Amino acid sequence: MNDSVLKIENLTKTYKLGKRDVQPLTNLNLEVKKGEFTAIMGPSGSGKTTLLNIIGCIDKATSGSVLIDNVDIAHLPESQLYKIRRDKIGFIFQNFNLLPYLNARENVELAMELAGKFKGQRKQRAKDLLNTVGLSGREQHRPQRLSQGEQQRVAIARALANDPAIILADEPTGNLDVNNKQEIVKLLLDLNQKQGTTIIMVTHDEQVAAQTQRMLTLNNGKILKDKQTQKSTLSGNQSKAEETQEE
Amino acid sequence: MMGILSRATRNISRRKTRSLLVIVVLSFALAMLISLPPSITQSQATTQKTIDALTANAQAVNATMSIVATQIECHLPAISVPNPDSKAETIQVQPLMNNTDYSNITSIPHVRGVIPILDQAANDSNLDYNIYGIPLDDASLIDMYSLLLPSNITEGRNLQVGDSGVVVLQQRVADNFGVQVGDTVKILNQTFQVVGIDGYSPLNKTAAYMNLNQAQTITDNAGNVTNFKVFVDDVHNVDEVATKISIMYPKLTVSIAASLVYSIIQMQTQTNVQLELAQATMSEIQSTGTLEIAVVTAVDAAIVLFIMLYTVRERTREIGTLKALGASSAAILGQFMLEGVLLSLIAGIGGIAIGTIGATSFANLLLPAPTQAGNSTVTQTGVSIGAASSASISVAITPELVLLGLGVAVLLGALGSLYPAWRAARTRPAEAMRYE
Repeated sequence: MNDSVLKIENLTKTYKLGKRDVQPLTNLNLEVKKGEFTAIMGPSGSGKTTLLNIIGCIDKATSGSVLIDNVDIAHLPESQLYKIRRDKIGFIFQNFNLLPYLNARENVELAMELAGKFKGQRKQRAKDLLNTVGLSGREQHRPQRLSQGEQQRVAIARALANDPAIILADEPTGNLDVNNKQEIVKLLLDLNQKQGTTIIMVTHDEQVAAQTQRMLTLNNGKILKDKQTQKSTLSGNQSKAEETQEE
Repeated sequence: MMGILSRATRNISRRKTRSLLVIVVLSFALAMLISLPPSITQSQATTQKTIDALTANAQAVNATMSIVATQIECHLPAISVPNPDSKAETIQVQPLMNNTDYSNITSIPHVRGVIPILDQAANDSNLDYNIYGIPLDDASLIDMYSLLLPSNITEGRNLQVGDSGVVVLQQRVADNFGVQVGDTVKILNQTFQVVGIDGYSPLNKTAAYMNLNQAQTITDNAGNVTNFKVFVDDVHNVDEVATKISIMYPKLTVSIAASLVYSIIQMQTQTNVQLELAQATMSEIQSTGTLEIAVVTAVDAAIVLFIMLYTVRERTREIGTLKALGASSAAILGQFMLEGVLLSLIAGIGGIAIGTIGATSFANLLLPAPTQAGNSTVTQTGVSIGAASSASISVAITPELVLLGLGVAVLLGALGSLYPAWRAARTRPAEAMRYE
């Protein structure tokens, strides 16, 4: 399981804020292997969300390359990027971002509908995924009738719908209470360990990050630390010595 | 597609109050929009009828002018002579004139023609009647002859240019002689063939109509006539011609139908005023209707535009989410346009319902009332013109208009939502996700 699913080289992102240039990411290099569960930490403004957005093709790099499954998405036009987002990426947001007028099953189906999957096929898969995230029997409930933890589970099921190469989770536990937080982390860990799902998660919570395999710390747009935290259970790899990469 | 349609429907229904309000407003706008074209057509048709009626009136007036008002009557003043039946009494007789003595009248400007007439009393056993002679020798004057010939031929035909040896008898005269069309009749010892009968009428003369020369011959008045009818080219020139005749022939009594001339000129003015009013109404209906269609169309599209702009702004994060999930720009564009079209289509159905009930009210409310001509009557003695009034119209929504309404609703929905949908499609996902 050493295949690289994400390879970033010399990634720089610059944008204008009023009259001044802001550079949230500077010459960043990163490689994520298939099946890896990576947590990205760092103070506010360190570039975590920008990095996640660029990997998720919802923001564009200023320079450098971002390879997802060996496709450089850094300079693809929007007419191509939406396909990458649809087929290769699964998003989990802090605010869940479920469509309020769709029920749980329809929210999960939405991602598959955008991928052009047939109604019967996507309905069954949505039910299976909701079952996987522990929401069996809650398919018909709209988001407002679900707890926050349940909403995030629906969002996780939706992220998995098209069997993406990478799940990008932007502070998925940020809006949850302690119990729900732990359940969501456990769910993500299960997905990673049992199904080999590659997950990159931005979090402020060290306890949450500590449960992942790899913890990156960003500061001023650069990776300050890159730390392997625990065994890679799915692949059975040997526990790695703690590494720290300072850039 | 079904998914997009389902989402569009749910998005409309989840903001019930707002959607209902928009649909009601749009429905009224669309009801006006589908009511206006037939209303314009109907109003214009009503006004056109008025114009036609007024034009017919004007033609009738012209005809009347030709018949009476442009004629000038010229004769010598009647003179009193002793009554042969009673020495103590006098009677008024019409002196005769020589036909050629007044030939200069034809040279007066605006004179179209001069028709000499011999109108002499005759008696046949129990009936007093007149011998009425008209020259029938000039085909170019036929239109003037026809105005002087009997107007109520009930059998046979009227006199024609070139007729000789024939007579048209008024019904009483024919009855008195016991003849009918095709028979011969002896009048003052001269035999004529009866070619026509002038039916009973309160206005017509008890007379036998014939060629002037023959009338002169049988009454022993060769070359003489009782009066001239002078025809003038235009009613406005009648006074001028009459004055000139009076100056040229001071002994003649020259009379015009002054009150009729005045009445006709007045009616002509009234007709023209009403005609102008009707034509102005016609233009006003067209311009007002067109303007209203343009305004309602613009308002309709603007409502869709603003509501969809608001919707796009309100749902920016949703757009971001959809894009993050892999929705293409075309899919976003399609979804928001479909919502706009659906909203407008629902309103279109409502508009058709409202229009079906209220098209007539909209027509009478939104368009200038068409002018309706009053009834006018034309008689030999004058013209009376009815007062024009405002007409109300009745408009019905046809199946074609229903289809048009739905088509317009779809089109306006698409047009109105095009820009908001384009903005939604162009939204950059990263910015949309940050939108609060």
